[in-house]
Amino acid sequence: MGRGLVLAFDTATEVAASALVDDGEVLGERTSRAVTLLEDVDALLRQAGARPADLGGLAVGTGPGSFTGVRIGLATARGLALALDLGVAGVSTLAALAAGAPGALPVIDARRREVFVADPAPRALAPDALELEPGTVCVGDGAVRYRATLEAAGAEIPPDDDERHVLRARFHAALATAFGPAELVEPIYVRIPDADRALR
Amino acid sequence: MILALETSCDETAAALVEEDGTIRSSVVSSQADLHARYGGVVPEVASRRHLELVVPVIREALEQGNASLDDVTRIGVTRGPGLIGALLVGLSAAKALAWARRLPLAPVDHLHGHVASLFLEPGPVDPPFLCLLASGGHTLLLDVQAHDGFRVLGTTLDDAAGEAFDKGARLLGLGYPGGAAIDRLAREGEPTAYDFPRARVPGLDFSFSGVKTALLYTVRDLTPKELERRRADLAASYQRAIVGALVDRTRAAAEETGAGRIAVVGGVAANSELRAALPDAALAPLELCTDNAAMIGSAARFVEPVAYPQYLALDAYATSS
Ligand SMILES: [Zn+2]
Repeated sequence: MGRGLVLAFDTATEVAASALVDDGEVLGERTSRAVTLLEDVDALLRQAGARPADLGGLAVGTGPGSFTGVRIGLATARGLALALDLGVAGVSTLAALAAGAPGALPVIDARRREVFVADPAPRALAPDALELEPGTVCVGDGAVRYRATLEAAGAEIPPDDDERHVLRARFHAALATAFGPAELVEPIYVRIPDADRALR
Repeated sequence: MILALETSCDETAAALVEEDGTIRSSVVSSQADLHARYGGVVPEVASRRHLELVVPVIREALEQGNASLDDVTRIGVTRGPGLIGALLVGLSAAKALAWARRLPLAPVDHLHGHVASLFLEPGPVDPPFLCLLASGGHTLLLDVQAHDGFRVLGTTLDDAAGEAFDKGARLLGLGYPGGAAIDRLAREGEPTAYDFPRARVPGLDFSFSGVKTALLYTVRDLTPKELERRRADLAASYQRAIVGALVDRTRAAAEETGAGRIAVVGGVAANSELRAALPDAALAPLELCTDNAAMIGSAARFVEPVAYPQYLALDAYATSS
């Protein structure tokens, strides 16, 4: 594919994930918080002996997740794309989580006693409103948080420390196919602002 | 040359400012129309819009300034105070630009930015001076002795002056933003028609909740027909109370500190009655009074820049500590 060095990151959830991938080979992977994302990015490039100008593309998680988290990732991607003249590929956070846990249903904590799932389009709903085939494996921070509710509904949840719950940016890089203008990569908020709900 | 970003409230702004304070370009994309339907700034709505606009305003600032990122030697950005989600959009973009280009980053305090709007060419106002900063988000009296900071002498205990104008305008059915609407209507009214209270708080602080409540009660007691007839008088009297409080405290502060010069910054500096009441005050041009990035670039000249990679974990702050 010849994209060369791809920097991937996702700050939509509590744990910010980042990875540096060279033509499919994972050179490094890190996790921290959204606000310290660039420290990870800097460390990944240093470890690989690479400079920002060596990057060939960006893969960024577009949510759903925390509104502010999603925006930190996209604002960072847009700033990097502008400064380095890079193409950006948007990858749904749910899709990246799914890629790391084949056969499982990704469930992201949406706060307010709701979870985000792909249905198939991302949406938010109460954990006990989720309709599950018995034995469905659920992964992600939403699955961990609402373990009791989901297990009662027939789900199987891997242990809390199972790595399938953890978002890994190598999967964003793997799923990134169409690299284009950064401004065209849009956030997946799912929810409208409360103020708009009030106006309806 | 400094590339500056400002996203603390409802203006998405980028500017190019030279080291000597010359503005190469200043682009402000106001969201006022977007927030008008809510009657005020909605943080989540503002933050979403900032993300859409932040790169377009940077591109526009570069284009208008006939410059490229290669000409930029430092990034200036508002770090706070303001809406945290809104600030983080600008700060994230600024950090990314600085990191990618290995540039130093100057984190700017928004209030310092307002003061530094006075330091821009042409005709900069240099310290020392006493500064009244009055906007939709802030009402402060500042003792400015140097270019790199200030001492807070007084602040509002409740609403900001601009906020009081907005709330008053809403009570009078004038729409948002309210400052300009009240100013316009007040010209047709009698400023002594109603005796609205001026807050009696000690020291050099402000309070605008009392005058707002007084207006609320007055409006409530009027029939729609009476309100229609007295609207201009109400606007004029309400404006007089707010401007009177601002001017009284500013003069008192000038006396207390022995300041030889008074300056007014922030969106409320556009108010014609305030301008008339402080005829000798130094005022920045109107487009630099409301939130903009040129003032952030100006302040960035006097801030100790943070070198790569120290700023990579920099966070925004919602309120001044
Ligand atoms: Zn301001």
